[in-house]
Amino acid sequence: MLVFLQQLFNGLVLGSIYSLIALGYTLVYGILMMINFAHSEFLMIGAFMGLGASSLCLNWGLGWPGVVIVFFAAMLGAGLLGVITERLAYRPLRHAMRLAPLISAIGVSIMLSNAVFLWVSNQSLPFPAILPERSLTIGPVAAGSLQLLIFATALLLMIVLHLMVQKTKIGKAMRACADDTATAGLMGINADRIIAFTFLVGGALAGAAGVLNGMYYGSIKYNLGFLPGVKAFTAAVLGGIGNITGAVLGGFLLGLLEVAAAGYIPNGSQWKDVVAFVVLIGVLLIRPSGILGERVAEKV
Amino acid sequence: MHPLLRAVCLGLLAALPVACTQKSKTVRIAVSVPLTGDVGTEGQGVRRAVELAVEEANKSGRFPFPLEARAFDDRADPKEAVSAANLVASDPNIVAVIGHYNSGCSIPAAQVYARSGIPMISPASTNPKLTSQQLEESWVLPKTVFRVVPTDDVQGSFAGDFIFDKLNMRKIAVIHDKTPYGQGLAEQFKDRFSGRGGQITSFDGIAMGDRDFKALLTRIKADKPQGVYFGGLYMEAALLMRQAQELGFKTTFFSGDGSKTNELIKVAGKASEGAYLSITGIPVEHLASAKPFLEKYNEKYPGVDVKPFDHFAYEATNIVLDALTKVGPDRAKVLEELRRTRFEGILGVTEFDDKGDTKNKIITMTQVKNGEFAIVN
Repeated sequence: MLVFLQQLFNGLVLGSIYSLIALGYTLVYGILMMINFAHSEFLMIGAFMGLGASSLCLNWGLGWPGVVIVFFAAMLGAGLLGVITERLAYRPLRHAMRLAPLISAIGVSIMLSNAVFLWVSNQSLPFPAILPERSLTIGPVAAGSLQLLIFATALLLMIVLHLMVQKTKIGKAMRACADDTATAGLMGINADRIIAFTFLVGGALAGAAGVLNGMYYGSIKYNLGFLPGVKAFTAAVLGGIGNITGAVLGGFLLGLLEVAAAGYIPNGSQWKDVVAFVVLIGVLLIRPSGILGERVAEKV
Repeated sequence: MHPLLRAVCLGLLAALPVACTQKSKTVRIAVSVPLTGDVGTEGQGVRRAVELAVEEANKSGRFPFPLEARAFDDRADPKEAVSAANLVASDPNIVAVIGHYNSGCSIPAAQVYARSGIPMISPASTNPKLTSQQLEESWVLPKTVFRVVPTDDVQGSFAGDFIFDKLNMRKIAVIHDKTPYGQGLAEQFKDRFSGRGGQITSFDGIAMGDRDFKALLTRIKADKPQGVYFGGLYMEAALLMRQAQELGFKTTFFSGDGSKTNELIKVAGKASEGAYLSITGIPVEHLASAKPFLEKYNEKYPGVDVKPFDHFAYEATNIVLDALTKVGPDRAKVLEELRRTRFEGILGVTEFDDKGDTKNKIITMTQVKNGEFAIVN
């Protein structure tokens, strides 16, 4: 039972990072019906921005305010990168055949990771810890202060996103564009601006996830985005791509699945990806649109 | 034109290329190591050591031809290693290879070198298979592989005895990274430790590139082992240590030479305190015979840390240079000479057994104390 609770917590923390990244995939897909393969690089760039900001904050001796600055810098950096990428690489191809923006996205992804590889570092860089780490025990569960921070930050960002999409005017416009971009345009919504805004939000979430990733594992590298990117994309599909609640659900589910496989199958740590993806295939066979997905027929 | 003059001219023309090739024929020693990627820092160290030895040889004037060290990047990837090996094999001016770093790269690359008859000396690969594969029946190629480091069976067994005898521990969990190096080391350790009567509570592989080991560690923690032995490289070792600490899993970590680098302490921070890491040979800073090497290294590369395998690479290069002085720049002759080599250098006396392994097998145990590695045996 003790082990079970600990594993549950491990899975929730891992899942919260996946969810955060999955949201970026799902937001863009919801509006453009396009899979933004460069999303994992926004994550990586966010991590590097966070590394730079962390080093500065550490020099200035900032504690908690430093953490806020680091997140702000990474989210702003990755968000703006998202906007620029959309403007330069996706918008010109918006009315081209469906595969064109996809290939463009793969190109952007390779370009960004190689740029960091060549100009920043081709090796793992240690990610400085701004806050002293403490081990806490909540009942039988050992939770590092960092794990709690990750979990709390991810939840907070998800709630903010939910409120923004559901309660604000711009959220309403985003939902309108997701429903029907052409009609939304006729109603006086500037679709280009809404799409750019969506990339800003998606990129910012990826940036935050990048910082969390760096803090959690203590080191970052030019290719760190790839694996979590693929997993989060999987989570988004599992939950039903295009559906915000689905992305969160899929992320947590994937995190829990991986932890269950590594924790309960003998020698499972090398099999966990296999287990997670077998489950994904199984779910998609039964529900091709994902757990909460709808309208997939007309989208694909 | 006068016939005589013509004959002289023709003669000169004919002699020209000969003179040119003799003058400019550079003899090369290849260095095939990862120059980029996570273990790139280690590979760069090997490259620097080889270049240092070659530069000294050029300055000494004992060779009638210029020497050059040429580096090839294998990115710690077996596929890249084979393509680097093919590049090396296609250059007739290369007489020997120093490399590769990872056992996973050395093992497939060795076949390429064997096919071309190029002698290869690995300064760092410790998986026994690298040399023992040459004794298999299916191996119809010449035996061209040598190494100057003791193998994993020596290192794994050493760690098994150390933990059993010196630390009196009886319950150890084992994790490895599924690479020929990491898994090989872990299996050698397991065999020795359980052979002595110790209990292996679990034996798990992790996926390379994976960064979250909390679930695995939570399960291992439930078995209450006294220590965790990890066969693999520093990045995964550091993440394991960090995540164990976060889980409140108080245990002692053990690992091998692939994890013993300052980056481990940088990434793992306080979590690495108390961890034991075995290394091959004696750390260069404790080798009296390596003093001149360190001085020259620091002079040529000011402000650069000497990496754990640099002195092995330096020694390997000098062994090749020694053979070159004796038999001249010819692959086959150099290979013959290496088989009967007896070289006295910074590692002591190096001789190769019939597999190509060094007969000089020393292992040192270090422990992280106050953020530094201290020798404990």
